Amino acid sequence: MLGRRGALAYLAVPPYLWLLGLFVLPLLVVVAVSLQPASGRIDFGAGWPSTNQYAHLADTPVYFRQLALSLAMAVGIAVTATLLAYPLAYFLAFRARERAGAFLILLLLPFATSFLLRIMAWKLLLGRDGAINWLLTTTGIATEPSTLLIYSRAAVIITLIYVWIPFAALPIYAALQRIDRSHLEAAADLGAGPWTRFFRVTVPLSLPGVLATLFMVFIPTVGEYVTPVLVGGPEGVMYGQLVQDFFTRAGNWPLGSALAVVMLLTTLALAAAAVKLIDLRRLA
Amino acid sequence: MTVLDKLARPWPAVVVILSLVLTACGTASTTTSGAASASAQQSQSKAPEPNELTVLEWSGYEQEDFWTDFKKESPDTQVDFEFGIADADILTQMEGGSTADIFHFYTGWQQFYVDEGLVQEIDTSKLKNWDKVPDSFKALGQINGKQYYIPWDWGFTSIMYNTDHVKNVDSWDVLFDPQYKGHIAMWDDGPAAVSVSSYVHGYDETAITDEQLASIKDEWKAQRPLNKFLWQGEYVELCPNSGPVDPDIWIAYAWQGCYATSLSQGAPVAYANPKEGRNSWVGLYGISANSDSPDLALKFLDDKLADLSCSNAMTLFYYGCVNQDVMDAVTDPILIQAFALDDPSILERTNFTPLVTDAQRTAWTNMWSEVKSE
Repeated sequence: MLGRRGALAYLAVPPYLWLLGLFVLPLLVVVAVSLQPASGRIDFGAGWPSTNQYAHLADTPVYFRQLALSLAMAVGIAVTATLLAYPLAYFLAFRARERAGAFLILLLLPFATSFLLRIMAWKLLLGRDGAINWLLTTTGIATEPSTLLIYSRAAVIITLIYVWIPFAALPIYAALQRIDRSHLEAAADLGAGPWTRFFRVTVPLSLPGVLATLFMVFIPTVGEYVTPVLVGGPEGVMYGQLVQDFFTRAGNWPLGSALAVVMLLTTLALAAAAVKLIDLRRLA
Repeated sequence: MTVLDKLARPWPAVVVILSLVLTACGTASTTTSGAASASAQQSQSKAPEPNELTVLEWSGYEQEDFWTDFKKESPDTQVDFEFGIADADILTQMEGGSTADIFHFYTGWQQFYVDEGLVQEIDTSKLKNWDKVPDSFKALGQINGKQYYIPWDWGFTSIMYNTDHVKNVDSWDVLFDPQYKGHIAMWDDGPAAVSVSSYVHGYDETAITDEQLASIKDEWKAQRPLNKFLWQGEYVELCPNSGPVDPDIWIAYAWQGCYATSLSQGAPVAYANPKEGRNSWVGLYGISANSDSPDLALKFLDDKLADLSCSNAMTLFYYGCVNQDVMDAVTDPILIQAFALDDPSILERTNFTPLVTDAQRTAWTNMWSEVKSE
């Protein structure tokens, strides 16, 4: 007869099978395709496995430049989205009280519309005849509509920060909710003012949520491709676009797979380094 | 023993697993050569065909206006559509074992389907509308002297420009003119970039050398900052049917449909007749070698060539259609202008998209990715 622990172990089987079938195996396929000797269509042929695709990448530094640029953009977007999401989460956790549920729904309301629609809305906002240019010209801040708002790297960054803020607020909100209010009361009793309590008690105790948010935004942003396609223009290209191009438009899965593997390994290495540096266990 | 040798040891097991996965997913063998055999077709035709069709299409082409004759003649047939987002994507889906009976792609990709046995030969004697198709279009669907594809939609690619800002365009090299910095929209496509450079410099598009490709790459790297944006698939900001037109775009690599739509909205635009010639693309339909309903698929394609379906493509969507009767009957001045129907020599001065090899296409798309990454 199965003990409680044995039964729990069996419960873990379906998710592991799910991950194996829909994550690990596809990932192995991507790795296997990246080891195809020839670029172009899939044809393992003779000479597999080969490092030809990786050698081609190594000979093409622009791809690494693009990866570095995308990583830098992802870091900037993750940090900014987290900083902007923090006050939102703080308000929900400490100030909204019984209205927190309603505000949470409002925060998540944008997700009721499709991602694509929200990006298209930003095209209208940032466009030459868009709302932001209208505001700038009617208030006299600018004499002419700016053509730099849309189809630029800035447009990609602005749009992605907007997209991520509601997501980013949730783990921080959860972390703030878990803070034992007696810690804050004790700090107050010991003479700590509001700012001291915030920086010495609230922020440190919410760091696990903050870090989860940073990773949650950073990792998918590195591979983002829809937003740069729609608002990026020639200067706002991101690495994920190149991967998508190779898979869907160029029909060159081997090189696309090699690009994807390089991105995955780099992102994982950076995340691992960050985890080691920060020592999450101490924060938990 | 090298590191690679050590790594290679577990790979046979991985390959077996992957093969099983791919087999389970129904991946078609890529080693098959030649088109589907006649005997296979005969054995298929013995069993009663299901009264349903699946078409691997481009988004938008599923609208009934595009296949209205078939709908009228075969109202009980269920027609399902699957979608691809690029020619490479459609080929990949077919290679991956798509169950589509019919697939739709564009010139330049004909050879691959035949080489991989993904398409079956078409018996044109069964097509009642075939005589309406000019021989020049029929020839585009032939490989090794056999008719594998039915041409259907076609159009031009050229430079559309805003006549308020640009007075006259007579060459593709306007895309490289620095005075229009920030006002150009190029298609985000490597082979298209190679075509444009080939037109401008007089290269043989089917035999681009490494040196020429390096020079083309440098040329487009220098051109990149001139673009306001690079458009993909749907050129939303160029054409008034897709939303607000970006007023900063004065010069665009564009299809004739966008030009016709702009004309119909009264926009101040012109469509260049470059001295190097326009480009022309043609859409082709093939019947899958694995189709369970080849006769029904043939009927579907025959009905697409019929007058009403072809006419709808022209009048409702501004696509050209290979039915010459329909083209000859056009009276709409916008369509006449968009297709230059009043210029009998236009097609003689037009560059039709050529067949290229996988290696060429790969080199061109790699070049373009590097241009975008700079």
